[in-house]
Amino acid sequence: MARPYGLLRAGFPFHKTLGMRRLTNFPIDVAVGREGRVYILCRQESSAAMVRKYTIEDEDLGEISKPGEGEGEMKWPVCIVADSEENLYISDEAMHRVISYDTEGEHRGTWGEHGSDPGQLDRPAGIAFDAEENVYVADAMNHRIQKFTKDGQYMTGWGTHGCAPGEFDMPYGVAVDDEGFVYVADWRNDRIQKFTADGEFVFECGSSGSGNGELNRPSGIDVDEHGDIYVADWRNNRVQLFNHEGRYVQKFLGDATLSKASREYMLTNASPNRMRDMADLEPQKYLRRPKSVAVDENGLMFIADNGSYRVQVYRKEAIPLTPQELAAPRRSPSLQQE
Amino acid sequence: MGDERLADLAHLMRRAGFGASKEEIEEYAKLGYDAVVDMLVEPESVPDIDVDILERYYFGELFKIRVGEWFYRMLNSRRQLQEKMALFWHHVFATGLAKNEHMLSAANQIATFRRVGLSNLDEILNELSRDPAMIFWLDNNENRKGEPNENYGRELLELFSMGVGNYTEQDIKMASRAFTGWTFTQPIPLYPHGYYPAHFIKREDDHDSGDKTFLGSSGNFDGEDIISIIIQQPATAVFISRHLYNFFVADEPQVPAWPIDPPQDPEAIRTLVASYFASGGEMREVMRTLFKSDFFKQARFAKVKSPTELVMGVLKLVGTYRSLDPDLMKYADVTALMGQELLNPPTVEGWHTGREWIDGGTMNERVNFAVDEVSDPSKPGIRETVDRIEADAPVSPDGMVDRCLELAGRLEVGEDTRAALRAHAEVGGDFDFASDEGRERAEERVVSLMRLIVSTTEYQFA
Repeated sequence: MARPYGLLRAGFPFHKTLGMRRLTNFPIDVAVGREGRVYILCRQESSAAMVRKYTIEDEDLGEISKPGEGEGEMKWPVCIVADSEENLYISDEAMHRVISYDTEGEHRGTWGEHGSDPGQLDRPAGIAFDAEENVYVADAMNHRIQKFTKDGQYMTGWGTHGCAPGEFDMPYGVAVDDEGFVYVADWRNDRIQKFTADGEFVFECGSSGSGNGELNRPSGIDVDEHGDIYVADWRNNRVQLFNHEGRYVQKFLGDATLSKASREYMLTNASPNRMRDMADLEPQKYLRRPKSVAVDENGLMFIADNGSYRVQVYRKEAIPLTPQELAAPRRSPSLQQE
Repeated sequence: MGDERLADLAHLMRRAGFGASKEEIEEYAKLGYDAVVDMLVEPESVPDIDVDILERYYFGELFKIRVGEWFYRMLNSRRQLQEKMALFWHHVFATGLAKNEHMLSAANQIATFRRVGLSNLDEILNELSRDPAMIFWLDNNENRKGEPNENYGRELLELFSMGVGNYTEQDIKMASRAFTGWTFTQPIPLYPHGYYPAHFIKREDDHDSGDKTFLGSSGNFDGEDIISIIIQQPATAVFISRHLYNFFVADEPQVPAWPIDPPQDPEAIRTLVASYFASGGEMREVMRTLFKSDFFKQARFAKVKSPTELVMGVLKLVGTYRSLDPDLMKYADVTALMGQELLNPPTVEGWHTGREWIDGGTMNERVNFAVDEVSDPSKPGIRETVDRIEADAPVSPDGMVDRCLELAGRLEVGEDTRAALRAHAEVGGDFDFASDEGRERAEERVVSLMRLIVSTTEYQFA
């Protein structure tokens, strides 16, 4: 889909909260499936990894729980993506591999082995499909991006350890836009890098800090149909939005309300309700160490609010603009009102 | 390089840290013993652990994650004494999850001990008195103007600073009044969205600002004033010095016996007390004095390892968990089975130490754990042991015993133990690595010998 000439950014209101402690413990990533289904990847102690299935209407559809080191099990999952048939692919940084399940949790395949040769993985983090459903993997401790077929055949890769353009320091998130460009959350370099599908450097944005457009260990990343870039700015406890050119647009600090499950739980627990009544509740809405962000085709943005056992969902309201509706770019700011 | 110097350094690293490999000891030896002590007591002089990586992989306020994180620091931090001091203060200022149930506050308390553990006792006691986990553990959140709760005031004197017999009931009442209103903000409860921090606050409207007489001084004392008076008391210097001696030098009787049983080495306590007063209560200087003293150097293997020391020592020996791994969290259960569940000491008195760590059940756990760990020749530390021995091959059975004891942390064993190890090593003659078959057989025999070594009584001592 061609990029709009511009956007009238009407708003980005908070939409809803999914999950709670015990249901979605330490959510680390979110995948959007078909028909409003959402897959929340949770990572707990060493042996309690699982996927919690929800609908966007906050209906709990159960879980896929496969903790362990076996062929069809996961240990330290990081990232989950769904393919066009809604099969789930999950990276596992303890087992140095990618594992696949169907929506009911049937194991479909596992690939990847530990090492530093081309095609091998060392702590794989983010994964993303391109339009042909090839898989890009942020190979964190090898400080590179690798591209595989869906069943794990190595295709290509790029990057070495460093901070120059095209180099990485423990890359975390990876995303592919609808034009095939690849975006990498270059975790320890506090920046986002954009590449062509073959790894040619296009641009970078972000620098170390906590100001607008600055990053402190960016983890998850996604790109929407308008080319807007969403970054889980992990240690700054926020998500930042950059436009398709990498210019900072706005940030999301969190606006959580209690999810449906949370409300039902609290209505049967008098003591914590009293403690809530005594507490300063301001912090409860804020993001705490968000690990990832995912956007869907309907403009919903899902944030894995890792430290608060939930997913915060926002809804984008933007109207594409034509050249007639958006004046030509200006080189300088203006005070003139028209 | 003298064996005694290396033995002193191995001893130092067992006590000021959690053990060290043969290579590490040899590296430290190049600096010299006193310089290593200086480095340990000035942890800021060496790089901190890579917190970036620690937080990237170990996140979440769950018990095993937080204990696993601490284990990782114990194994990998170059600031070994910082971690050991955190463990020391955790023993002395024992605060338990069994009551508190607030993992974030428990973890924050350990972080506080790590941060201030080598600072001035005045700062340490002030931080402790403001610590939400401690405030809740000893009910100071219930200590109100006109309705004092004396639990914290009592333990501050009895277990945290002076020891029984050095103050009166009236002093406890006065100290408690001084700490009225020292409480914390109500955190948002755990459900549904996790732990939120509790913050210290001093509620002036709930604070008893009347005159008080404490340990012979009178005034409108607040908590800080009480601590200022406490840290000037000779009894405090003696009590803290005895705790340090018990934890770092040699096993003493349990704390409740201290008013009855005098210190086994009164001169050592006098030395530490003098250092305490000379430095104005600076724990860094007291620890420098302790580690450089003759009484410390002469106390090799005079302490039963705590479960945490044993487990961390074995993991250092086998060389695992040098990078972050979820499996490290499982050792929280292992130390608990041996009698030490970190973050959850049994009472405010902390864990009973020394020979009280050992009973039939815990001894089994300790030996089985250590034997299991050294049984895998693919583990880096065991692999390195075999490789080092191969480099000297062929090695006689007697030489093999020496090398394995050296690689097990320069362990010193009695004649009976040595004879038994020698007899075991002699089955099969010299260790010859010349052929593949010989190497495989020699490797099996090295592992077998290491299993025996970590099963000895001597290995239970630090």
